[in-house]
Amino acid sequence: MGVAEKDKPIANPLIVLREEFDDWAILFDPDTGNAVGLNPVGVFIWKLLDGSHTAEDILKKLRESCRNVPEEVEDHLQDFIQSLVERGLAGYEAKKA
Amino acid sequence: MKLMSSPQSLDLDITNRCNLRCRYCSHFTSAGDVGQDLAKEEWLQFFEELNRCTVMNLCISGGEPFYRQDLPELMEGIVKNRMRFTILSNGTLITNEMAAFLASTHRCDGVQVSIDGSNPVTHDAFRGEGSFSRAMEGIEHLRRHRVSVPVRVTIHRENVHDLEGVARLLLEDLGLPSFCTNSASFMGLCRRNAEVQLSVSERSLAMESLLNLSKKYNGRISAMAGPLAEARNWLMMERARRERRESLPGGGYLTGCGGPMSKMAVRAEGVVVPCTQLNHMELGRINEDDLIEVWQNHPQLKRLRERGTIALCDFDFCTDCDYIPYCTGSCPALAYTILGKENHPSPDACLKRFLEEGGRLPDESLMNSSGNRH
Ligand code: SF4
Ligand code: SF4
Repeated sequence: MGVAEKDKPIANPLIVLREEFDDWAILFDPDTGNAVGLNPVGVFIWKLLDGSHTAEDILKKLRESCRNVPEEVEDHLQDFIQSLVERGLAGYEAKKA
Repeated sequence: MKLMSSPQSLDLDITNRCNLRCRYCSHFTSAGDVGQDLAKEEWLQFFEELNRCTVMNLCISGGEPFYRQDLPELMEGIVKNRMRFTILSNGTLITNEMAAFLASTHRCDGVQVSIDGSNPVTHDAFRGEGSFSRAMEGIEHLRRHRVSVPVRVTIHRENVHDLEGVARLLLEDLGLPSFCTNSASFMGLCRRNAEVQLSVSERSLAMESLLNLSKKYNGRISAMAGPLAEARNWLMMERARRERRESLPGGGYLTGCGGPMSKMAVRAEGVVVPCTQLNHMELGRINEDDLIEVWQNHPQLKRLRERGTIALCDFDFCTDCDYIPYCTGSCPALAYTILGKENHPSPDACLKRFLEEGGRLPDESLMNSSGNRH
């Protein structure tokens, strides 16, 4: 699956990212009370969901910052972003009509 | 337990005022009874800091939170700053409109209402005439708007014989999923109203009744403190001693309180303290001191967190006690109110002393029922 260039995901600003001392974090949705754990790579990605990075940009930054990034990371990244979008934790800016 | 980077939750005494004066209130006459309330603007400013610190939950207490006319605006501040909340209340001031408002926030995890009896006689004995019917009305309003109502029952001398009635009222008549219990303890007003606290024989009776009821209602009665929690804990310690087990988790050290690793509290005038019960320990002031700095570096808080390294065998109080490897010393706040020092096992939660004073543990078979296996 290729990375769609024009899509720049944005983290839902209502979601709280609680970072802990071990670089793991919790994503907390105050509207539902749900909290999910994020590993350090997930935190790195979350912080780039600012509406100005495509998935491809994020992939590039990930490869620059982390050693031994496996080949299949592209698919994992897409799945990760997709799962955030499905849970309402992230989205895409609505295009102007 | 690992230290969190910032408190995950805070307990806030949102007001020092209350419409009641319950004879065992842990707030009035304690160090938390500060005689003044912070202005709304100060709380709202503080909520913004809590948002930056990624605090998730607030527990709002007092005094009586619904005594504050501006409570809805404070709730809106909590919502705006991405937090959820629970409220601890006597229930008597909750109107239908207020319940509707709480429901509309979609952030309220529940309003804990105190019900201490199955009827006005036992409930009002120490809370004041009329409080039972008004608290029941408050519960009705909350349930009408589907706000969760985790009822708490404080056990004392006047209701210890009414526990079956209380369970029937709450679990059968009202159909609540569960309720929790504690007991009037040596804090606040209770210190000078000694007639309120359970005697040793009443405590034995309460432990047995509550284990029986918990069995009957399949575990729908819970407790973090008080006779039910003690019954479960002490029976476990007694079994471990009899089976000559090496230890129980946390046993042998003052590990009885994990609160300071994940939460802290603020008094009604804005002074930050480790816990609403350890409210004499002043750590700073909101909107003046940086909360994260206090949380991570305050020397008193650090010492409190190291309490778990203090061995029970070093206390004269525990000399020759067979329960040392299984005991955690319980709540530091009770140790403080009874002895004036928090780094000591709580005499009130001491199994050895309870037995020496003629206390009786319930039958162990009660612990094996499904309702009591937690
Ligand atoms: S126990 Fe609660 S309701 Fe009773 S006086 Fe204290 S704060 Fe008020
Ligand atoms: S004397 Fe009391 S507090 Fe000390 S270890 Fe024994 S039971 Fe625990």
